[in-house]
Amino acid sequence: MSQRGRLAFLFSTLLVAGACSGQGATTPPTGPASIPPAASDGVPSGSDAAPSNGAASPGADGDDLLAAIQEAGVIRISTDPNYAPQSVIRPDGTYEGFDIDVANEIGERLGVEVQFETPDFDLVQGGGWNGRWDVSVGSVTITEDRKSVLGFTQPYYYTPAQMAATEASGFTTLEELAGATICVGEATTYLDWLEGTLTLGDGSVPVDPPEGAVGTTLPTDANCAEAIAAGRTEFQGFLSSSTTVQQAIDSDVPLVTVGDPVFFEPLAVAVDLSGPSHEALLAELDRIIGEMHADGTLTGFSEEWYDGLDLTKATE
Amino acid sequence: MTSEGISGRDDRIVQRVQAAERAALKWFRIKVALVWIGLVATLVLVLYLADEIDLEWTATWGPLILDGARTTILLTVISIVLAVMLAVLGALGRLSSNPVAYGVASLYVSLVRGTPLLVQISFLYLALPQLGVVIPAFESGVIALSFNYGAYLTEIFRAGIQAVPAGQREAAQALGMHERHVMRRIVLPQAVRIVIPAIGNDFIAMIKDSALVSTIAVQELLWRAERAGRQSLNSLQALLVAALVYWVLTIIFSFFQERLERRMARGDR
Repeated sequence: MSQRGRLAFLFSTLLVAGACSGQGATTPPTGPASIPPAASDGVPSGSDAAPSNGAASPGADGDDLLAAIQEAGVIRISTDPNYAPQSVIRPDGTYEGFDIDVANEIGERLGVEVQFETPDFDLVQGGGWNGRWDVSVGSVTITEDRKSVLGFTQPYYYTPAQMAATEASGFTTLEELAGATICVGEATTYLDWLEGTLTLGDGSVPVDPPEGAVGTTLPTDANCAEAIAAGRTEFQGFLSSSTTVQQAIDSDVPLVTVGDPVFFEPLAVAVDLSGPSHEALLAELDRIIGEMHADGTLTGFSEEWYDGLDLTKATE
Repeated sequence: MTSEGISGRDDRIVQRVQAAERAALKWFRIKVALVWIGLVATLVLVLYLADEIDLEWTATWGPLILDGARTTILLTVISIVLAVMLAVLGALGRLSSNPVAYGVASLYVSLVRGTPLLVQISFLYLALPQLGVVIPAFESGVIALSFNYGAYLTEIFRAGIQAVPAGQREAAQALGMHERHVMRRIVLPQAVRIVIPAIGNDFIAMIKDSALVSTIAVQELLWRAERAGRQSLNSLQALLVAALVYWVLTIIFSFFQERLERRMARGDR
C-alpha cells in the first residue's frame, strides 16, 4: 500500500476511534498495511509488522486458529527478548536463544513461517492477547492461576528457581535473606512465591520463602541483574530461573547463588483462552512438543544453550 | 554641501558602529562555540577515563539502534501530519458559533490536554481491546501522538486564525466572497504562515515524546537501545547512543525549523 494509502487508512481509523463507533474492528479493513522500513529487511521483527498479517488473524466468524495459521502460512509467536539465554535480540535485529530455537522448530514442524512479536512478559502471562499474536513460546510457568487464562501444552523444559544474593549484602544462606528486599520480574512466579500465592500447575509444593522477605519488581528479570550490575543497592536478593541467574553471574554481575533451588518450574507453550478457537492448535502443539522430547531435539537445544545441561526432564 | 558632508560622516559612523557590533557578535559566537566544544570534550574525557566508552560495543549495536531512528521519524512524521489535520478541524470548531462544533472541539482539547500522553498510549493499546477495538502497536502510537499533539496545535491554530487582521476578512467580504471562501482562501493561508514555526517546534518535541511508544513494544530507538543494553549489561553505552541520536535528530530538524521560521517572518516587515 502506498504511503498515501496508509495515511488515509490511519486518518479514517482516527475518525472512527474519535467517534467511538468502532466495534470489533480488529483488522484494518483495507488489507495489508505497508511494513515500516525498520522491519523491512526481511527480518520478521516486531509488532509493528503485525498488520501485514491482519488477514490471517481469524475474526469473530469462529474460524479455527490452527486452520487460520496454516492458511496464512505464518504463526505469530511472542517472545520477550529480555531473557538471556532464552531470548535476546541480535545486532541485526533478529533473535536468538533456547526459546527462539524451540519456536522456530515448532514453526518448521507446523510447516509455517515464524513471525516474532515482542510484547513484555507481563502482557503475555495474563492472557487477553486480543489476537496480537497466536502462541507464546516464552518459558511461561504452568501455574493454577494462569490455567484460567492460558491453555498450556506439556512442559518443554523445567528450570529450577534459584535465589541469589548480592555480593554487597554478604549473605550466603537462604535464611539470612529473612526481611530482605528481593528483586524479581513483573508478574513472575518468583513474585508469587515471595507473596505466598504460588500454586504450580503440576501440584508440587515449593518451600516457604524466607521470613518477612519482600519482593520488589522491575519490568523484567533482566532489569534486576542490570540494576545490580549498575551498582544499585536497594535489594539484597535476586530470584529468577537458575538459567537467568547463572547468565548474570557469568556476565560478572556481583551475585552469589544462595541455597538449593526453591522450586522447580514446568515451562510450557501457551495459547490465549480468550482468543479464537484454539483446541486443534493446542493439541497439535502438544503433539509436536512430545515429538521433540522423544527425538531428542529439545535435549539438543538445552545442551546447546545451557552449557551441556539437559533441562528437558522433570526434576525431582 | 555642508549637509552632504554631515550625512556622509554620519553614514560612516553608522557603518563603523554596525561593523563593530558585527565583530562583537562574531567573537561572542566563537566563544560560545569554544565553551560548547570544551564542555563536550570534558564529558567525553570523563567517560573515557571511567573506561565507559566502548567503541566496539557501539560498532556492534549502533546500527540496530540507529535503525530504530527510522521508525521514530516515520512515527513522528505521520503523527504530525495527522495532528495538523486534527488541529485545523479543532481550531475551526473552537472558533465556531455552532454550539455542537464548539462543544466537540473544546471537549477534545480539554480531555486530551488534561491527561498524560503515556496514559493515552496505554489506553489505546491495552484498554480499547476490552471494547473490541484492537489497534496494532504502531498505529496505536500514531493515533495517540496525533490526538495529543492535535489538541495542543488546535489552540495554536486558533490563535493563528485570530491573529489574521480583521481587515483581511472584511476586505474579502466587501468583495462579495462567500464566508467559506473567506476562510479557505484569505484567512487560513495567512494563519498557516503564522503557525508554521509552532508546528516545527511541536515536531521536534514529538520526536522526543515518541520514546514513550517503546512501552507498547514498537521497536523504535529507545526500545532497541534498552534491549541491546540490557543483554550486554551495558545500559550506559546503549542509552548514551540513544540520547546522542535523539540529540542529533533535534539539532538537524531545529536547523531547518529556524530557516523556515526566518523565511516565514520575511513577509512581515
